[in-house]
Amino acid sequence: MSTRRDFLKDSSLLGFGATIPTFLGQSALAARTADKPGAKDTILVVVQLTGGNDGLNTVIPFTNADYYKLRPTLAIAKDKVKKLTDDIAFHPAMAELAKLYTEESAVCVVQGVGYPNPDQSHFRSMDIWHAGSTAANLTDGWLGRTLKAKPSPAFHLAASNETSPLALAGAPVRVPSVASLDDFKLKTSAASGADGAAQKGVITGVADTSSGGNGLLDFVSRTQMNTYASSEKLAALGKSYKPKVPYPNTALANKLKLAAQLIDGGIGARIFYVALDGFDTHSGQGGATGAHADLLQQVSDGISAFYRDLAGHGHKDRLCVMTFSEFGRRAKENGSKGTDHGSGAPMMLVGGNVKAGIVGEHPSLTKLEDGNLVHATDFRRVYSAVLEQWLGVDAKAVLGGEFKPVEVFAKK
Amino acid sequence: MTDPKWAWAPYEPTDANPWDRRKVGHLYRRAGFGATTAELDTGVKDGHLKTLTRVIDGHAESDDFSSTSAFMASERSMPSGAPQERLSAWWLDRMLKTAHPLREKLTLFWHNHFATSNAKVKNARFMLDQYHLMQRHALGSFSEMLIAMGTDSAMLVWLDTNKSTKLAPNENYARELMELFSLGIGNYTEADIREAAKAFTGYELSYGKSTFSYRQHDGSEKKVFGKSGKFKGDDIAKLCLEQPACPRFIVRKLYRFLISESDTPPAELIDPLAEEYRKSGFDTGKLVSVMLRSNLFFAKESYRAKIKSPVEFVTGIVRGLEGTAGALPLAESLEGLGQVLFAPPSVKGWDGGPAWLNAQTLLGRNNLALALTSTEDTRFGSRCDPAAVLAKHNGEIVDFLLDVFLQSDVQPAARDRLHDYLKTAMHVKYPAYWSVGDVSNHRVRAVAHLVLTLPEFQLN
Repeated sequence: MSTRRDFLKDSSLLGFGATIPTFLGQSALAARTADKPGAKDTILVVVQLTGGNDGLNTVIPFTNADYYKLRPTLAIAKDKVKKLTDDIAFHPAMAELAKLYTEESAVCVVQGVGYPNPDQSHFRSMDIWHAGSTAANLTDGWLGRTLKAKPSPAFHLAASNETSPLALAGAPVRVPSVASLDDFKLKTSAASGADGAAQKGVITGVADTSSGGNGLLDFVSRTQMNTYASSEKLAALGKSYKPKVPYPNTALANKLKLAAQLIDGGIGARIFYVALDGFDTHSGQGGATGAHADLLQQVSDGISAFYRDLAGHGHKDRLCVMTFSEFGRRAKENGSKGTDHGSGAPMMLVGGNVKAGIVGEHPSLTKLEDGNLVHATDFRRVYSAVLEQWLGVDAKAVLGGEFKPVEVFAKK
Repeated sequence: MTDPKWAWAPYEPTDANPWDRRKVGHLYRRAGFGATTAELDTGVKDGHLKTLTRVIDGHAESDDFSSTSAFMASERSMPSGAPQERLSAWWLDRMLKTAHPLREKLTLFWHNHFATSNAKVKNARFMLDQYHLMQRHALGSFSEMLIAMGTDSAMLVWLDTNKSTKLAPNENYARELMELFSLGIGNYTEADIREAAKAFTGYELSYGKSTFSYRQHDGSEKKVFGKSGKFKGDDIAKLCLEQPACPRFIVRKLYRFLISESDTPPAELIDPLAEEYRKSGFDTGKLVSVMLRSNLFFAKESYRAKIKSPVEFVTGIVRGLEGTAGALPLAESLEGLGQVLFAPPSVKGWDGGPAWLNAQTLLGRNNLALALTSTEDTRFGSRCDPAAVLAKHNGEIVDFLLDVFLQSDVQPAARDRLHDYLKTAMHVKYPAYWSVGDVSNHRVRAVAHLVLTLPEFQLN
């Protein structure tokens, strides 16, 4: 944990004056090296599919007869799927991502990802993915530890009632949750400019209390100082941004658009986190259309627009979007035309430098464990590739163990 | 380590740890929604025993309050399709006006425990029924509440029990019953869940009423926690209640709610209360009373050991200013702070603690405090006016506001800055049409806003 004193020191060294927090201060470093070819920092955007995405109806083994037996009402007909290979296809709602796969070679699918002794509690399993660990007590996240190893600005793009994910806990500076740059303004009831400045002076001044050892009070004042320092700069950032392609008007796409603004704004942010809820489809899941299809379409259209927008702004080779869910769903559908909690499921990576294609075999539909698809690839092997080959940090240190990286990035 | 015997023994004031305004403020924040100046005065004057009894037992609700609140919750004014904010506003209004704040506070605790959201239930009548179930048992019997929750209409929708049949049991409720409502993770197996799910089949909603269908119920023998029987839903709840993990799980959660979220209490501290709780047949009122009267509750380590929830933040301001802000705009503003009543983010409820605060919610708190204390923002009406309260109590601006909101417990530097602001404010050029009164009211409101942005005010 960096102290307030450190952060004042760091930021004034960078010439931002005494109140710029480290997470913005770092941008000066990024900007300084950005001119050199190839020196632009890579970016990771994690897209969390909350609730347990049905992997089997996302990446579909459409030539496998067992698939149709297991899913009498939910299976997607052969002629409806978006083919990726001779026997693997995307759900029809994912037409845009399928295009990125076939036309842009910008999509990598890792099949059958999970971890040993899968837990079927949403919260425990989500914590495991967030922490990058199956230890009993999980208190910080893999991205928080990454930020600690290699500090950079990071953002959680959130709806206002969304709390900061465990994945980001443990970062040296608390990662801000942001819904809209316009809201990012500190207001006062100023009678005049001087009055307003005086009030802001008090608000930022009182935040800087050196407390007598109360951890919570320290936490509050640190969060306040970070917030006040960043608010002015962020509020100004969004106004000039023009997307190169239209974004669909969905919650996920709006968050990704905000990420694009922050990326293009050049403040040096490297890690972004967004979540889309609703994947807990115990009943009425739907097939080619319906609830699950709508969610997949939101994911596919949103990520595709984001990729194309950033490509238009010249950032596609810096970009890697990674999707995950806390678990997949039971292979056999239940009686409520839905699916219960399962385990192994696919992950997707999208970007200009991913190794396009399908990694690994589709999990067997006959050798099930408790009715669940068995994972073949530990999710930490994907994290490991992202950490080592994309973000340039020591994966072993972050994950607390050796996990052989999966080949998901193009060799340079 | 804290000695459990000392920790749970009733607090007695000493010279080193006297009964004072800070303790009254602490009690009113934790056991209710904050104190007014009058409550702080009376609390100190009456002493700890009388004050504790008043806070714990509360008063009977006035006829006016009861009938107005009931009317607002009637089918006519709150039909099943009533919008989310109206539900939320209705409860917020109760929190601000009730004669027994502790009961509403514990209802809020249970709402976070059985966290059910109208976002999926989409039926205000069901949500109100669940509220009444929790409010009835808030300080009563946890076992009765846990059993009744299994057939609660909102819960049937929320965790899909209404779609769980003999041929296709749905595991959702059985899982959360064990993981989140009674035992905590690690105290059951996946097999327990799969078996228990069979017992929760056949519970349906028919014409908006919770019913039981023998035809859809799986009447076969199930094996849960090593016991076998033709269990139904209520049998599973009873089996959970018999597990030693159950009272511990609830006591631990209440500890975090009432005493401190800054530490993880050791088993030695939790177990004696858990044992009493079990013996009492899960009498929550008794447990809460022991906690609130205890040495530990009034000890230094529990003071300001929580981050205020958005609801506590907002109600604390309105009560402190003796105001009557419009409940509907107040409820809407809570969304930006991260807590919408009747709409927790997931069945796990709100994480609470440090998770309440991030850049966005902090600015939201500051800007809401501004809106509530200023006349420029007319959303809340001008009935929450710091200038008027100050005039009524006749004090010095900074002293008065720091007393009512923080019982004067702030860094000297912060107090100095507020005084400095008042001095500079003397030289500010105010608009020519402002009267002397306008200027002085503006300064009171500005200082009130600044006090509410103090880091200490974010703590409970």
